[in-house]
Amino acid sequence: MTLLVAVAFMLAACHEEKVSVYRIPKEDNQVSMENGSGNLAPPPPANPATWTKPDGWEEKPLSEMRLGSFGIKGTNGESVDVSVTSFPGDAGGLESNVNRWREQVHQPALEAERLADGLQRETVDGVPTVLVDVQTAPGAEKPSRILGAVFRTDDRTWFVKLTGPPDLVESQKESFMQFVKSFHFSSKGETTENPPGKVKSTNDR
Amino acid sequence: MMQASLVARFFKPLASLKLTIVCLAAAMVLIFFGTLDQVHVGVYEAQLRYFRSFFLFFSLPGSALKIPYFPGGTTLGAILLANLIAAHVARFRFTWKKTGILILHSGLILLLLGQLVTSFSEEESQLQLDEGQTKNYSESPYFDELAIIDRSQPDSDRVISVPASRLVKGAVIPLPISGLELQVDDAFENAALISPNQLPSPSYPHFRLGPMAIAVAVAKTYKQDERNEPAAAVSLRQGGNVIGSWTLASGFPQPKDFKVSSAPYSIVLRPKRYYRPFSITLEQFQHDRYAGTDIAKNFSSKVRLMDPAVHENREALIYMNHPLRYAGLTFYQAGFGNNDHTTVLQVMKNPSWLVPYISCGMMTLGLVIQFGMHLFSFVRKRVIA
Repeated sequence: MTLLVAVAFMLAACHEEKVSVYRIPKEDNQVSMENGSGNLAPPPPANPATWTKPDGWEEKPLSEMRLGSFGIKGTNGESVDVSVTSFPGDAGGLESNVNRWREQVHQPALEAERLADGLQRETVDGVPTVLVDVQTAPGAEKPSRILGAVFRTDDRTWFVKLTGPPDLVESQKESFMQFVKSFHFSSKGETTENPPGKVKSTNDR
Repeated sequence: MMQASLVARFFKPLASLKLTIVCLAAAMVLIFFGTLDQVHVGVYEAQLRYFRSFFLFFSLPGSALKIPYFPGGTTLGAILLANLIAAHVARFRFTWKKTGILILHSGLILLLLGQLVTSFSEEESQLQLDEGQTKNYSESPYFDELAIIDRSQPDSDRVISVPASRLVKGAVIPLPISGLELQVDDAFENAALISPNQLPSPSYPHFRLGPMAIAVAVAKTYKQDERNEPAAAVSLRQGGNVIGSWTLASGFPQPKDFKVSSAPYSIVLRPKRYYRPFSITLEQFQHDRYAGTDIAKNFSSKVRLMDPAVHENREALIYMNHPLRYAGLTFYQAGFGNNDHTTVLQVMKNPSWLVPYISCGMMTLGLVIQFGMHLFSFVRKRVIA
């Protein structure tokens, strides 16, 4: 009896879930990401935005949150990176996102009003668009410049961001504007009764 | 004779009726407090803590040491089972008059054994499918795993699954691949995902998941309709060198790619997956309502089951009280979403699901025989008198 209790004690004390190893048929990375249990960013609408890649831009593999990813190689090994991302709602607001880009080029964050003065506003495919151009202070150790575009559709915010050394970025400014203006949004705001990712029990009334 | 007395001496304390009474009393206390605690910790957690545990534990504030203070359901069940078997071995002498008792007790032993097997082998998961989507795995509604996926083979992937319960700050977990070690730099049992500008203060416990998302620590939830979504900051080390560091959140289960000696790998924190050798496709989900109202009449999922190994390829309709049973699993209609384009199937694996039916049948038969014999002899005595 004492032995039985001692064994039970030991089993209880040593209980630790084990690391397991198993093999599965090769799965498409895309399929493995289709996971309904509470994604942060519900997948973009069935027909997301489309765009036209300017000549000379090289497509890069999509990673993490990128819906589009491009690279442009300059001379002497420098390169520029272009990303397209999309998030539901206002994605934290224009001010915080532009200030985040400012921080990345070591510029101080600005108040909403002062920030608004320095932004260029346009309309692309009927969608209000904000253009951002920020760069490191003259004489910075590692000069960098960001060209950005923020599209605000009814239900999502889209970001296009081009980052790289200032000279190379300047040479790509025209291509960047051409890329931004090529955006076409097939769904400019479709609200659904039940957002994807949320499920209800059949027992609920 | 000598042997018989030895057996009796060994089984006598275990066969004690006092032990039965103590265990039954303890079980009543356990059920009472376990049921009350469901208000605080929910049905599932109460089941785990009180009824499927060896012991109930408490921890002193600020200490990780767990001190057992009361036997859990598994311990009480095991002692009762041993007690019942020992009583039979030590005391029971077979006579035809006791056939009923024998069948009745065998049924009870079977019931206890079945419950013991169930508590160790039962597996509950959910299969969420959008229309047209196919999956060969279901996911746990309660547990998460940190999966490291070795994608170096052309035809299959190797998954190293670390249970999320092992993700404790400071833990170093050796992995069964090329001398790799997983170091947990920080971990939250439950995390909410917010955008960076929503962070209450920079000192609030959080991880940056990416430019747009931050995982913040939140209290563990026990609500029936909510799920704990852990987050962790981990590093992989090989021979003292750090291969990579990642911040991962189960609420945002996007695999992150990396390389170990040029072999492609991915790492992801996600709901624990149970892979199957077959796949299920949702062809159509239907949510019927009573005419002119919004009251649900019927939920049904038309699925296609494909198991290439046994050339199985068929359609099945899952609706209330009509689950799909296949390969030891039962798929029940449990939920829906996405404007009636997504279904949620509850997937149950319980190899001993028939045992309670058989044991209840045996116990009924035992009682009928035993009381029947008494009744029969009583009636006969009256007739003679």
